[in-house]
Amino acid sequence: MNEFYEKLKKATVGIAGLGGLGSTVAVALARTNISSLVIADFDTIEKSNLNRQQYFINQLGEYKTDAMIKNLKQINPQVKVEGYKQKLTAGNIPEIFADADIIAECFDRAEQKKMLVETVLAKMERPVVVTVSGLAGYGRSNEIVTRRISNRLIVIGDGESGTDLDMPLTAGRVWLAASHQANAIVEILVDEIIK
Amino acid sequence: MSVLKINGTEKVFDSGLPATLAALLEQLDVNAETVVAEVDGRIVERSEFEKTELHSGQAIELVRFVPGG
Repeated sequence: MNEFYEKLKKATVGIAGLGGLGSTVAVALARTNISSLVIADFDTIEKSNLNRQQYFINQLGEYKTDAMIKNLKQINPQVKVEGYKQKLTAGNIPEIFADADIIAECFDRAEQKKMLVETVLAKMERPVVVTVSGLAGYGRSNEIVTRRISNRLIVIGDGESGTDLDMPLTAGRVWLAASHQANAIVEILVDEIIK
Repeated sequence: MSVLKINGTEKVFDSGLPATLAALLEQLDVNAETVVAEVDGRIVERSEFEKTELHSGQAIELVRFVPGG
């Protein structure tokens, strides 16, 4: 048990995007006492985000990165959080997440998801990437699965339910996927990455 | 016989393999802009799809992304 917490004290996790997935992964990992988080999102908080994202009414209009740093401090002040408010690109991802042992892909658009996963796997030597495809709608909890594609690639979701199919994003189903992400991240950090 | 293992399932190509990864994606009707491809465990970047030749027996993983997060 002690070894588990000792290992998490040496871990750095990158979170790319701070919407429904990213804000929830960040909260879960902070509560798990991960040593260090690197979070990035260029966007500000809108009213429509509050149905599933870990922000509050009095934070509307703030940068998600700034608001999340404050919220994480309220949850667990021991976690070191480094925040970036710029748009993530194939050019800056390797630099921004240089210290990350593992990176959570938490974007919304399919092209951006692909870009991040491809960049991490092709341009970076070390980090594992935990990505999500297919979390829209409601119900069908058990269709959300975690799959190990290869050594450095884990994919979560049902693979099909996209917002392009006119499905809503609901807190329960988005959080299911985010919890799969946080859980896979802890597992890989403790069982594989941190010695 | 021409065979590829695609996402863990063997697929037989009776009239020959698609020449490249790009051709395979087209045949499977997969949008190249929203898929991550690994060939025998190695990531292939989008810019290499047209240049990546396929050979029978290879294992190909295609991760298709749909929006939402």
